[in-house]
Amino acid sequence: MAGNFWQSSHYQQWLLDKQDLIRERQSDLKVLSEEDYQKIMIFFANFIQALGEQLKVRQQVIATATVYFKRFYARNSLKSIDPWLMAPTCIFLASKVEEFGVISNSRLVSTCQTVVKNKFSHAYPQEYPYRISNVLECEFYLLEMMDCCLVVYHPYRPLTQFVSDFSNTDDTILAVAWRIVNDSLRTDVCLLYPPYMIALAALHIACVIQQKDLKSWFAELSVDMDKILEITKQILKLYELWKNYDEKKEISAVLNNMPKARTSPTPPPNQGPSDGTQMSQTSQST
Amino acid sequence: MDDKTKRYEKIEFLGEGQFATVYKARDTLNGNIYAVKKIKLGTRQEAADGINRTALREIKLLQELHHPNIIGLVDVFGQRSNVSLVFDFMETDLEIVIKDTSIVLTPPHIKSYIIQTLKGLEYLHTHWILHRDMKPNNLLINHEGVLKVGDFGLAKFFGSPNRIYTHQVVTRWYRCPELLFGARNYGTGVDIWAVGCILAELLLRVPFLPGDTDLDQLSRIFQVLGTPSDVDWPNMKYLPDFVQFKSFPGTPLKEIFIAAPDDLLEVLKRMLAMDPQKRCTSTEALKMQYFSNKPAPTPGPQLPMPGSNKIVDKEKPSLKRKLQSETVGLAKRLIF
Repeated sequence: MAGNFWQSSHYQQWLLDKQDLIRERQSDLKVLSEEDYQKIMIFFANFIQALGEQLKVRQQVIATATVYFKRFYARNSLKSIDPWLMAPTCIFLASKVEEFGVISNSRLVSTCQTVVKNKFSHAYPQEYPYRISNVLECEFYLLEMMDCCLVVYHPYRPLTQFVSDFSNTDDTILAVAWRIVNDSLRTDVCLLYPPYMIALAALHIACVIQQKDLKSWFAELSVDMDKILEITKQILKLYELWKNYDEKKEISAVLNNMPKARTSPTPPPNQGPSDGTQMSQTSQST
Repeated sequence: MDDKTKRYEKIEFLGEGQFATVYKARDTLNGNIYAVKKIKLGTRQEAADGINRTALREIKLLQELHHPNIIGLVDVFGQRSNVSLVFDFMETDLEIVIKDTSIVLTPPHIKSYIIQTLKGLEYLHTHWILHRDMKPNNLLINHEGVLKVGDFGLAKFFGSPNRIYTHQVVTRWYRCPELLFGARNYGTGVDIWAVGCILAELLLRVPFLPGDTDLDQLSRIFQVLGTPSDVDWPNMKYLPDFVQFKSFPGTPLKEIFIAAPDDLLEVLKRMLAMDPQKRCTSTEALKMQYFSNKPAPTPGPQLPMPGSNKIVDKEKPSLKRKLQSETVGLAKRLIF
């Protein structure tokens, strides 16, 4: 997505302060450990990725949807709206915003059912419960909770620019850094730092992995290297967590502890606006 | 969000378009007056698509844009596919001003409208956004004479070289030749051509090139401005829907716009260049002599305002405005 990042809603409204983010999560962190909270976020990022791949949308749509998901729960408890419903809603909204084309209703819901059944039954043994009417309703809360800020900037574009700045030939470093950017969507960095910094951190890690010396290139940059190192640390922490973590075995227990939405998963269809009022009150009262 | 339907108190109906109904409304919290655009719930199929795409496009882009000459999006409310957008309230638009025969448009007035249009457009283009529906009807004017570009329902980010775009954009009379020839890869020139047509319309007080069909539009363009040769526009023949037109010599602009000074004709010439590569950008246009030469543009508050506020016009706004039904003092307002 083009545009001017420095005047964007992303820069001006959606780079959060770490302390604020922790404060917003207090109610969930009373029930969950910080590590379990992160595991839940990783899990649903994986779910969004799986849905996106099944629907054959571009990575851009998946990345935007993942950021939407994180933005929503940065301001709301996990119990306000079930993340199993929020995940496809994010994909649905992101595909429209990124002008990807239409994902038909029936295809969205049937994809959820298939993906849950084939890939996530260890976490959700029942049939996928939500219908399109739930998604459409949820879409509006998502839009509203994000204050209608829909344009998201990603590290991919600055990353390719940086790589082409020091080399025209090095595709491996780009590929490695690109994957690290994908992984970074499983951390909080997209809520905390501008995308060009995340791109630099990914490049930094990629250089270490590939044993490529870019010290002099980095030295010439006019960026706050402390911040780049903070991002690097958060991404490395993710890799540390992944080392001893078997999601397939452990996630079910973690999800059991997750604060649940009080509303029933399948409200009867054709509910009017009053139903919406109820849901948003639930979210506000938490 | 749920209370916002009540927060904005309807005052009067302003107009109806293909996708939306527009009301004048009072914000009960602070007394401000806004225009509330309620997106129509179309067919069942559209309702099933969730938040309307056109509305989403406007929300998405206007949330990122803040400029005196771009319409401000103040708020969004609703639920499900039922969305309302709250905008700055604008008294009138340039179409009404042009059609109001009781208004005399002087050269300083015209300069003021075009400068404001170009400033808004320059801002859009530097943010990599194409408006794709520039026309007098979408240039809104408030009581202080500030002109704002409105209606972003067709607007889009540009600059991804591999993306193809639909050529079915821009109201026909303001559509540039490359779009009419089916170009899928176009740029800021589409908006500039439209501004050229708007400038011509400000001078003539009737639409400059009112074509009946896409082909008629092209032949009107070539009859007036001359059929471009291979040298004028080398890439023309490669466009998907290219057809060879009869070779018209065209009429010199000087003979069409008899009263217009040379510096203005130069602006028109650059904006209405056939080859999009040769068309000026909004930044280049603003640097041209016309805009710094005398007379100075009229300050906003002194710009003319249409007299009647009554809504006379009940006809549906179609792509083609009906010239024959044009009445004196017609005030169709804020049709999005």
